Amino acid sequence: MSFEEFQDRARLYVIGALEDGESREFEQARRHFGHKAEDFITECYRLHEAFALSLRPAKSSEALKERLMKMVRERKEQKE
Amino acid sequence: MPRRPKISLETDHDETGPRLPAVSPQLEPGEPTDLELMHGIQAENPEALSKLYDRYNGIIKALILRVVHNEAEADDLLQEIFMEIWNQAKNFSAQKGKPLGWMVTLARRRAIDGLRKKQAYARAGERLQQETEQQPDAWVHNLTEEEINFTDTRTLIRKVIRSLPPAQQQAIDLAFFRGMSQREIAAHTNTPLGTVKTRLELGLKKIYDGLKELRDEL
Repeated sequence: MSFEEFQDRARLYVIGALEDGESREFEQARRHFGHKAEDFITECYRLHEAFALSLRPAKSSEALKERLMKMVRERKEQKE
Repeated sequence: MPRRPKISLETDHDETGPRLPAVSPQLEPGEPTDLELMHGIQAENPEALSKLYDRYNGIIKALILRVVHNEAEADDLLQEIFMEIWNQAKNFSAQKGKPLGWMVTLARRRAIDGLRKKQAYARAGERLQQETEQQPDAWVHNLTEEEINFTDTRTLIRKVIRSLPPAQQQAIDLAFFRGMSQREIAAHTNTPLGTVKTRLELGLKKIYDGLKELRDEL
């Protein structure tokens, strides 16, 4: 697999769209290209940010945040 | 009402070529960065989580809603995801990417898992099908006049996505927001598997390349 083909596969990999057979080949190529491959995969994960940022932010209630923060503080107190 | 941060894009280079722009909030002087907030969460400071929540709950909830299409389920998942961010913060590494990317990846996985666990997949699929029929360009589903005039990162990212043929947008939408495999997309859209693969590869490459060019527009 060329690095260009690896790049195509990496973009599919980060969105979880590789098929089983492709995954095995991808992992082999990933090992073969080493750091260069890891850097590119890390880079591809920025697609996730972009897809999320393409959406209009949704509103949520203040009550939801209050519940969350109450749970977090309780969790912390339990640990302490 | 928490202030929504303006988002800016940065970019840099390495030996494999120009990197994708990093999305980071444009902060007021003295405001902690996302990374500082993550370090605060790692140090178990609830205030850091509170600030991160204020900064990104809207984006994370929009992502969840895009997956589950149900307001109440989205709120439950939003709470669970921020609890997971609190509990799993120790696993975050700045070397592996930005805090927002880590949160989005975590949120997407959790939302798709939630969708499947509740066996709402088929039901939500029907809703998606109805929406797709009503509005083929799912990514511009909520576009308003205000947004069209609002030249921010979101609009620019949408511009990149909207430049793709609808079939490529749909394939990526189903893969990313629905967690569908190539085979599932092929079955869902009644399209040959090879065509689905080509659509995904071409579409993702165009978005990837388009995002790199965004830096010049900002």
